[in-house]
Amino acid sequence: MFEILSSLLKYIFITIIYIFLFSIIRLIYLDIRSVNKKASDLAEKAPYLKLINRRDELYFKVEESYILSRDKSLGRAAKANISIEDPFLSGEHARFIHRDGSILLKDLGSKNGTLINGVRLTDEEVPLNNGDKIEMGQLAFLFVDNEAGEGT
Amino acid sequence: MRSISKSFKPIYGILLVNLIGFVLLYFYKKPFEKITIYIGLTTMVLTSAIYLFILIKKLGDEYLFLIVSMLASIGIIMIYRLDRELGIKQVIWFTGGTVLFLISYFVFSRWNLWSRLIYLYAGTSLVLFLLTLIFGSDIKGANNWIVVAGFNFQPSEIIKVLYVMFIASYFTTPEKLNIPEITLLERKISVHNRGVFIACVYMFIGFLILQREWGSALLFFIVFYLFLYIYGTGLKTLLFNGAMAFMGGSLGYLFLYHIKVRIDIWLDPWKDVSNKGYQIAQSLFAIGAGGFFGTGLGLGRPDFIPEVHTDFIFSAICEEMGIFGGIAVILLYFLLIYRGFKIALSIREPFGKSVALGLTLMFGFQTFIILGGVTKLTPLTGITLPFISYGGSSLVSSFISLGILQAVSKKAL
Repeated sequence: MFEILSSLLKYIFITIIYIFLFSIIRLIYLDIRSVNKKASDLAEKAPYLKLINRRDELYFKVEESYILSRDKSLGRAAKANISIEDPFLSGEHARFIHRDGSILLKDLGSKNGTLINGVRLTDEEVPLNNGDKIEMGQLAFLFVDNEAGEGT
Repeated sequence: MRSISKSFKPIYGILLVNLIGFVLLYFYKKPFEKITIYIGLTTMVLTSAIYLFILIKKLGDEYLFLIVSMLASIGIIMIYRLDRELGIKQVIWFTGGTVLFLISYFVFSRWNLWSRLIYLYAGTSLVLFLLTLIFGSDIKGANNWIVVAGFNFQPSEIIKVLYVMFIASYFTTPEKLNIPEITLLERKISVHNRGVFIACVYMFIGFLILQREWGSALLFFIVFYLFLYIYGTGLKTLLFNGAMAFMGGSLGYLFLYHIKVRIDIWLDPWKDVSNKGYQIAQSLFAIGAGGFFGTGLGLGRPDFIPEVHTDFIFSAICEEMGIFGGIAVILLYFLLIYRGFKIALSIREPFGKSVALGLTLMFGFQTFIILGGVTKLTPLTGITLPFISYGGSSLVSSFISLGILQAVSKKAL
């Protein structure tokens, strides 16, 4: 009886250990607190964008995180505050606006649009919450605001 | 796999492993004893309580403790399967270790004077070494135990932590080891502080060799050598110390019977398989017998291996949990070392950096030396597998190191 139990449970036992390993690796990968030094220094005060894409999947230069300490525009053009050479971005794609202590995102009439948590933006400004997923072009960002809520 | 791991919290993994392990162990041997269930519950409650405490109080890196408690859980289950009494003792040590983990966390992060205590580390180690030499008793071929009130206690495990602190404080403030010029026969001799440091390190290693702890001596030397390399002390120092190590090794092989035997059975254990090569040969049989998924808990015969609960526990894990179980253990150590290096890289404060680096190197090479030994990759030197092997001093000292690493990680993040 014990033999049957033990030789069946050993598969489950080892599978659980491996799932444990994978979940830890995944969590470490997604760990937004230790993204990079620049972000972690300012994370206490300023909200920032964290890239969710794997950087090696993208063939253009992109940072692991962008700090939104003031109003910033994002686009393909060199004059944009955050300039990323993604061909699916518009020259002036979107703008992050500080107002009353919260940050609003406004799509600047981009061709391929901007999505917040999967919902496409119209030309209205939309307030961002901690943990919102922002997609534009081939990029996906996580919006992190440690002041508004606890970063998890 | 991805969708499972997304909703799966790592702590559940530890709880499930303990649950399955202890349910199996309960039915393993008649009479079924209730204490098995209590032991399992203690481990589960303790692990979750401390993990939640780390999360709620935000005590820095949360993965270190998760990885380590998984390793310790596998160790406790395996030791309990091999010997119930030792398993119960191991759980008591685990409880003590986690308490000391928290204490060392708070003590280390409370005060900021640790980089200035270089003489205290060297002095305390010297006292402990001398105590071992005077009061030490011979257990299993190494003269490194002190018996206090019925408890066997291994000072070299505590010295391991002191040694890392000593090296780290030297590389933070080297000028502390400056000594005044000595006048000898009308000539002034000045010794550079690096000379003093190297002499101190050789004192540590010399004492370990006197106690016939070859494994720890090797471990201490590797950590020291890597520090010399990382902090860029120049090619001359590296070559000098490399030559010293080579000389020491060759002299040991030529003149010390003990080391010669270790190397001979490493090269060919089958020549004297019934006697000197017995342990390593049994270990290899055990690993081979396990196959991919192992025989299942309680169905193998790891008890043929002498010292299976301490140094050779990895062979028992490979036999009963298979090569996949063994690889999982190695991957867990990988993750632990990765986190350690990550902490060392991300902290700015020099002393914290050296301490994190030293402790990580200690964990890493200790694991490497003993795993290499039991799988016949390197000559066997008896040291414990951190967090898994049976042994109070080893578990306690590993948890103290982990507490310090945790305290450093709090500053790093």
